[in-house]
Amino acid sequence: MNPDVIIVGAGIIGNSCAYYLTKKGYKVLVLEKSDIIGDGGSSRNGGGVRQSGRDPRELPLAMYGIENLWPTLSEELDSDVEYHKEGNLRLGKTEEHLKILEGLANRAQACGLDVHMIDGDEVRQINPYLSDEVIGASWCPTDGHANPLRATLAYYRAARRLGAQYITGVSVLGLKKVKGKVRQVITDNGIYEADHIVLCNGLGARPVAGTVGIDLPMMSVMLYALVTEAEPPMFNQMLGTAEADFYGHQTNHGSFVFGGSTNFEPVAKDNGTPVIMANAAPCICRGILKYFPMLADAKIVRTWAGWMDQMMDGVPVIDNISEVPGLTIAAGFTGHGFGIAPAVGTVVSELVNGDPTSADISGLKYDRFKTKI
Amino acid sequence: MSKVTDRSRDIGPFVPGPDDDMIICRCEEITKGEIRQAVHDGMWNMAEIRRYLRCTMGLCQGQTCGKLVKGIVASELGIRPNELEFQTSRAPMRPTEMHVFANEEEAKIK
Amino acid sequence: MKRIGLIVVGAGPAGLSAAIEAAKRGVDVVVFDENARPGGQLFKQIHKFFGSKEHRAKVRGFRIGKQLLEEADAAGVQVVLDATVIGVYLDKEVVVRIGDGIEHYKADAIIIATGAAENMVPFPGWTLPGVIGAGAAQTMMNLHGVRPGQKVLMLGSGNVGLVVSFQLKQAGCDVVALADAAPRIGGYGVHASKLARTGIPFYLPYTIKEAEGTDHVTGVTIAKLDERFQFIPGTEIHFDVDTICIAVGLSPMSQLLKMVGCEMKDNVPVCDAHGQTSIPGIYAAGDVSGIEEASSAMIEGRQAGVYAAEYLGYIEKDEMDTEEASLDTALDGLRQGMFAPGNKGKKIDLTEEGIPVSENLLSRGFVAEDEIERFPGVVHKAGIHPVIECTQNIPCNPCQDACNKGCIKVGDHITTLPAVEDDSTCINCGMCVANCPGQAIFLVDEDAGDGMAEITMPYEFLPVPEVGAKGVGLSRSGEPICDAEVTRVRSSKAFDKTNLLTVKVPKEYAMKARFFEEVSK
Repeated sequence: MNPDVIIVGAGIIGNSCAYYLTKKGYKVLVLEKSDIIGDGGSSRNGGGVRQSGRDPRELPLAMYGIENLWPTLSEELDSDVEYHKEGNLRLGKTEEHLKILEGLANRAQACGLDVHMIDGDEVRQINPYLSDEVIGASWCPTDGHANPLRATLAYYRAARRLGAQYITGVSVLGLKKVKGKVRQVITDNGIYEADHIVLCNGLGARPVAGTVGIDLPMMSVMLYALVTEAEPPMFNQMLGTAEADFYGHQTNHGSFVFGGSTNFEPVAKDNGTPVIMANAAPCICRGILKYFPMLADAKIVRTWAGWMDQMMDGVPVIDNISEVPGLTIAAGFTGHGFGIAPAVGTVVSELVNGDPTSADISGLKYDRFKTKI
Repeated sequence: MSKVTDRSRDIGPFVPGPDDDMIICRCEEITKGEIRQAVHDGMWNMAEIRRYLRCTMGLCQGQTCGKLVKGIVASELGIRPNELEFQTSRAPMRPTEMHVFANEEEAKIK
Repeated sequence: MKRIGLIVVGAGPAGLSAAIEAAKRGVDVVVFDENARPGGQLFKQIHKFFGSKEHRAKVRGFRIGKQLLEEADAAGVQVVLDATVIGVYLDKEVVVRIGDGIEHYKADAIIIATGAAENMVPFPGWTLPGVIGAGAAQTMMNLHGVRPGQKVLMLGSGNVGLVVSFQLKQAGCDVVALADAAPRIGGYGVHASKLARTGIPFYLPYTIKEAEGTDHVTGVTIAKLDERFQFIPGTEIHFDVDTICIAVGLSPMSQLLKMVGCEMKDNVPVCDAHGQTSIPGIYAAGDVSGIEEASSAMIEGRQAGVYAAEYLGYIEKDEMDTEEASLDTALDGLRQGMFAPGNKGKKIDLTEEGIPVSENLLSRGFVAEDEIERFPGVVHKAGIHPVIECTQNIPCNPCQDACNKGCIKVGDHITTLPAVEDDSTCINCGMCVANCPGQAIFLVDEDAGDGMAEITMPYEFLPVPEVGAKGVGLSRSGEPICDAEVTRVRSSKAFDKTNLLTVKVPKEYAMKARFFEEVSK
């Protein structure tokens, strides 16, 4: 096959791009370094489909997706992605927390998002399982969550059904321009060619883009997730906290999926294996139990760690690279790419097609990075 | 240990089998037919199968069914089972209550 | 964080052996085990082990467990029970669940000896209560004194399937049949023969087509397989059973090795010649590094303990060289013969001596009458003499040590078939009969007068028949073939619970009758 577009990376972003591009009639080839589809952050995240708490520069993508794509995604992909649009509670236990939450809420309101502060009793009306220590929260009723494992693989399955070709186990070593346009993808399995190349390979995007002179200022930061055994159905909101000590939701299956942080993330040691630090799960469990004492007996069955692609300013690059015609980059999602993945796939398909984008991505340009003075 | 795999390789159509309704993963109640169908949906290794269906992700974490699932996936792909890697393992080795995980105690062994 | 020289995970045969060797050399060793009792599977093993003296042959498994615990205690090993290692992390950090909390330890070296878990095989009805693993059946019987069922079908003819079938029979269960999908019995022929002569039929290559029952197993149907492992229509056989026991192999419990990032191949860690994984200072020993017998696990454990002690600087080179050579020899000894790891799945036609292997033994569990005479242990002599029905080259020689009259010879090569020496005189002490872990030795007096012969056989069932008990002699295939009467019953501390039953049968059955069944008065 002579593809029109080569996508590097088969996480949820790559799969979403592959789906919407294939749907537009492009012949798409996806190259994935791992043997496994969706093996990075796509399968190690809390599953939030949130607008609240987002940077205004990526908020339009989140709002567009929740308005137009997520509600019908399971039908669109013919596979249940377990989407719930039942709100996001960002919890606070101290006055200081409430100040943080108010700041976030005000910023989102300014962008036209319905998010407002509620008090502790209102919080427990929405979610009666929360501890009395919770004194308030920001509440965004249109937020929600979905199953990242299912959603990633549903995009893959749907794109594959439409004819997208996937090759796994191929490492991209670099790109090469031919006559002024990017054309070749050089891999450990030979050279692949297409008119258009889209980098969706997270941390791997930096070295690959570097081979055609583009730098993406990102760093790797460790993220943790853990999952419990199935518990009786309790609630359907997405949860987070002002302190960011945990976030997560209960899945359709009944298990709880939580993420969290320990303060060691930016300095976590990379020994080449996804070995979680021994102090992470205890810390996250303590964080969760402060809010959810009744989960004390829920059993953790798995914990993971993974590396996220954190951009220096906290939002991704989603852009056509004008210096390198034919190259589009969608990378650097900084740990919150899942919820906007459908919108990202949509706008990337528009970028490749040369169309105006459905959501405003003007704040996500590749050449926006500046020194502080 | 990546192995180049073109997911477009033709593995033939899904042919229903007489024992498709047999449960393979007891923890998550996943049948042989569901596993076989998932292979035809493009899930070609243990990681994808388990994320797609949840089999091997229950309380036993695949100690009971992992080998069975792997055999079914390999057979559907027309390859030998040892060409597929087993599911990954992650801490905790045994399901552990949150209050226990949260309770880091002083080392009692001196 | 508390630092420990060597942390061993798992207090089974491999883990305890490792801990003992390392502690004897001065390493501070802590063994964690998630169970309430140490010993791994050893305390479930009520049969006598194979091998030679250094492998603790002819000793019952649970006694070996006790010996290991005593040695560990004497060497200063701390064995911490009810302590589940839930994770092994970077920098050899080990997190242990003890009670309602977790504790963090770091080790300079780690030995993972977590053993294995039973495989399952799916068939319609396999999730019904009453379908159990053979190991589970052993736990019920031998640790808790609970009979798993009344009527049992065993699937799997490896040593586990054979040994557990015998134990089920000992516990009073009716083992209706033993089936295996393979065309040949996987375990030791002597284990199979112990079952066959009690009348348990073998069905090979057969497997379970369906388990019947709504809320509990009430029956099972097996059917024969063709070369492509498909059922042959019309070969179905139904049994009324309440229990189906599955013994289709074991899988390493290698989760800790995988989660810490050791390189794996087919669920087994890739180890160097010293049992060291791809992570320096982390070792694997016993079933977790590849399924073998408990005897091998003990040697592997000792090796890992010695290598870990060397890694930690507690062993000088000279001692290391000697130890390494002797342990290698011990392990090689166990890995020889027809059942050596390299021979797995292979059909072997001739013994090391060049004798054709008994085809009946491989397919039906017993050596046929027209086959038995060709083996070197089967001789005819005047007076009492041993008849050794040991026909496969397995690493085992307690029979040679048992006879201080020099009647039995295995020689230096541990897998050689035992032979009865021509110029020796048997004094009818019975030690060979009692010590043979395969219960394959009989003392036969082919002409005990009055047209009768006397056969002394090992007997490990209850109740033990009394002198004068009348019944039938059963052939090697379990067929009643003649009248028989018990003339002597011997028990002794030295026999270690193996009773010796002497029965009188008509002379022509001297080389045919191999089991006694009392006919109720």
